[in-house]
Amino acid sequence: MIKMTKVLGTKTLKPALLLMAAMLVAAGCSSGGGNTKAVEVSLDNRYTVDPETPAWQLDKKSETTDLTWYVNADWWNTDFGKDVVTKKIKEDLNINIKFITGDDTKLNTFFAGGDMPDLLTIFDSNSPVVQKAATWALPLNELAEKYDPYFNKVAAADTLNWFQLKDGKTYGYPNYSNTQADYDSGNIPAKTAFVIRKDVYEALGSPDFGTPEAFRKSMSEIKAKFPDMIPFGFNAIGEGTGSLGDALQDFIGVPLETEDGKFYNRNLDEDYLTWLRTLNAVYRDGAISDDSFADDGTGFEEKVKSGKYAAMLLDGTPQQGGNLQIFMSANPGKEYMAVDGPQSTVGHQPTLNQSGITGWMINYITKNCKDPAKAIQIFTYLLSEEGQKLMNYGVEGLTYKSNPDGTVELLPEVKDLQLNNADKFKKDYRMGEFMFFGHDRHKALSKDAFPESIKQMQEWGKGKLKPHFILENINPDQGTPEARGQTAINTNWNTTLVSMIRAKDEAAFDSTLADHKAFLDKNNWSKIVEVRSEKMKANKEKLGIK
Amino acid sequence: MLLICFMVIILVPLWNVIISSLSSGRALAEGGFIFWSKEFSLENYRAVFNDSTIGQSFVVSVAKTFLGVITHVFFCAMIGYGLSKRYIRGRKLYVAMGVITMFFSGGMIPTYLLIKSLGLLNSFWVYIIPALFSYYDVVILMNFFRNVPDSLEESAKIDGAGDWHIFLKIFIPLSMPAMATIALFNGVGQWNDFMTTKLYITDQALYPLQMKLYEIIVQSQTQSMQNIGGSVVIETTTKGVQLATIVITTLPIVAMYPILQRYFISGMMLGAVKE
Repeated sequence: MIKMTKVLGTKTLKPALLLMAAMLVAAGCSSGGGNTKAVEVSLDNRYTVDPETPAWQLDKKSETTDLTWYVNADWWNTDFGKDVVTKKIKEDLNINIKFITGDDTKLNTFFAGGDMPDLLTIFDSNSPVVQKAATWALPLNELAEKYDPYFNKVAAADTLNWFQLKDGKTYGYPNYSNTQADYDSGNIPAKTAFVIRKDVYEALGSPDFGTPEAFRKSMSEIKAKFPDMIPFGFNAIGEGTGSLGDALQDFIGVPLETEDGKFYNRNLDEDYLTWLRTLNAVYRDGAISDDSFADDGTGFEEKVKSGKYAAMLLDGTPQQGGNLQIFMSANPGKEYMAVDGPQSTVGHQPTLNQSGITGWMINYITKNCKDPAKAIQIFTYLLSEEGQKLMNYGVEGLTYKSNPDGTVELLPEVKDLQLNNADKFKKDYRMGEFMFFGHDRHKALSKDAFPESIKQMQEWGKGKLKPHFILENINPDQGTPEARGQTAINTNWNTTLVSMIRAKDEAAFDSTLADHKAFLDKNNWSKIVEVRSEKMKANKEKLGIK
Repeated sequence: MLLICFMVIILVPLWNVIISSLSSGRALAEGGFIFWSKEFSLENYRAVFNDSTIGQSFVVSVAKTFLGVITHVFFCAMIGYGLSKRYIRGRKLYVAMGVITMFFSGGMIPTYLLIKSLGLLNSFWVYIIPALFSYYDVVILMNFFRNVPDSLEESAKIDGAGDWHIFLKIFIPLSMPAMATIALFNGVGQWNDFMTTKLYITDQALYPLQMKLYEIIVQSQTQSMQNIGGSVVIETTTKGVQLATIVITTLPIVAMYPILQRYFISGMMLGAVKE
């Protein structure tokens, strides 16, 4: 300021400051939008509510309803009504949806500008936007009661319960929300696996990877026999820990909580640390490439596609399905297959994770919605058996047929297009892509839902899944000192993990670990544990776990 | 010798980008080439041009760059000309206000609210009107205009020329180097800008090339995420598409450079001479 005063002279500064003050006052006074009152629609001349029939079948509204739907993802395909799936939705519900996509920046401008879309889909259920849903979204229970009671028949009660806010109402509904019942049904396939190239595995005489010693020995053998390959790979580390954090912990079955039900720091589990020491030894043997730490998602995928890794700890097999399939098709007999990889040194069983009850994307109907009756009908429609099948498999008779045992099968010409012309398939059919309310249990209906390349991996994972519900959404609330501490700790842990694996000897490994422990103490760790334990307790109450 | 080394350092990566964009996905995934690709392929470019609306985006981009540059330069020149005259009343206040905008901006959300209340959301004019004025450019032009001898203006006035006449017929032609510099700055900015679109435009018909290409890249990244259970051999990789995009978007602006370059050289000379 002093410098500016010199440059401009006090004479000019005064009026300028006055002007600025005036502008600030003017800006502060203008209405900030938001908090608008919800639109009430009259159902006269349209339909009378019937709990036994979905409202979309009753609604006689003749003119097409135009709705805007904001999806907080740049990559979302904004077409509507051109492909088989969305055309059917458009016809059945008599709606026209204009999709808008964007990122968090755009979402913020929407909230600030007050011109909210009718429907909104976001991804982070821990974000402040979700916590404050009551101020901008309509409660689904009330909408269902008023306009479409059938909604309660198709929505999972556990999921609705899980997303209930403090006022006792539920505002958003997610996709891929798996309840305990889903886990129990066995319909959810595992998504984590330790995989190895078949040719390598056979050439080495089916070696063992279960114990730290065997793992290290087998990796050295791969390095000696296949010098062109990187013996061990893992998901790109990026901002997280790749597959060497939670995924590895689940693999060796590190407990989810302490014996008295409190938060347990799985990162410092002795069993897990033993495996990290092993990875460090493997690194020092030259069987882990330095590139693996620097690769981003794309770099990793391209290595998977070209079969560069001999073995991998792979998290998210469906996401890599396409890449694995490309390698498999081009190199028959060399495909990746799941084998029993690292195992607990203290006898724990694997506790693999899958999407939890929180799911992935969360859908909302905003207070600005022009026709909330129509909006809740969309929710009901997409969540119903019919809608689920439509999203995944298209229209019966046109794209798929039902088998007597309840499974479904794509028609040969559609299957052919899926295999040989993915672009056209995507454009004309768009099956499995319009997944706002998608769900694993409907994926399990057909053999065609997953690529060939990962089926053996899913088969391998049977019986190894364990819900991690109690650990969902337990991070400290954003904006609190604990949340800041948490962020710092996460970042520190990521670099610590990489440094430990790359440590030049055991002493360096130990001192890095000690540094991290000191960092925990400096960043309020005990307070964070308290917050998390508290939230775990609340989770258990919601889920009815004792 | 140093110059040659320097050139090599710049040209090799540039060449590598071009040649990589002309490689097949497989060759790119395997990597290991610098000067010549193992497998030539136009698939990356085909993937980019496959989008039917890309032509329209190109038109939007060209229109917004062309119109944006002309209006911006003219507008800034007008203000700069005015402010270069010491006898203008309130000049100091205007300058102070301008300087403040160089240090502080409203921030994203207030700007969004402003744009919204001006009715510029989803309008082509959002590319032009908010970009009209840049105090930074005004300062450059103002200083340039000040270097024009007062006597020129005086003699023109004696001959009966008005302010507009002096501005258009004497000052603008004399300041071509400064104008060209600002035009290029602004042109590159307009051409590369996609934040404006991201924030204020939802209508796809108004997407410029940059936004379209941003979309193509993001979608090529997620294509592999959505598990289409096909055994298709995909000819392109995300990296390939990105590289093709870089080449496509950079080429037009690089092509403009030689045309404007002669103004720069004369600009530098002019600035170097002291009376």
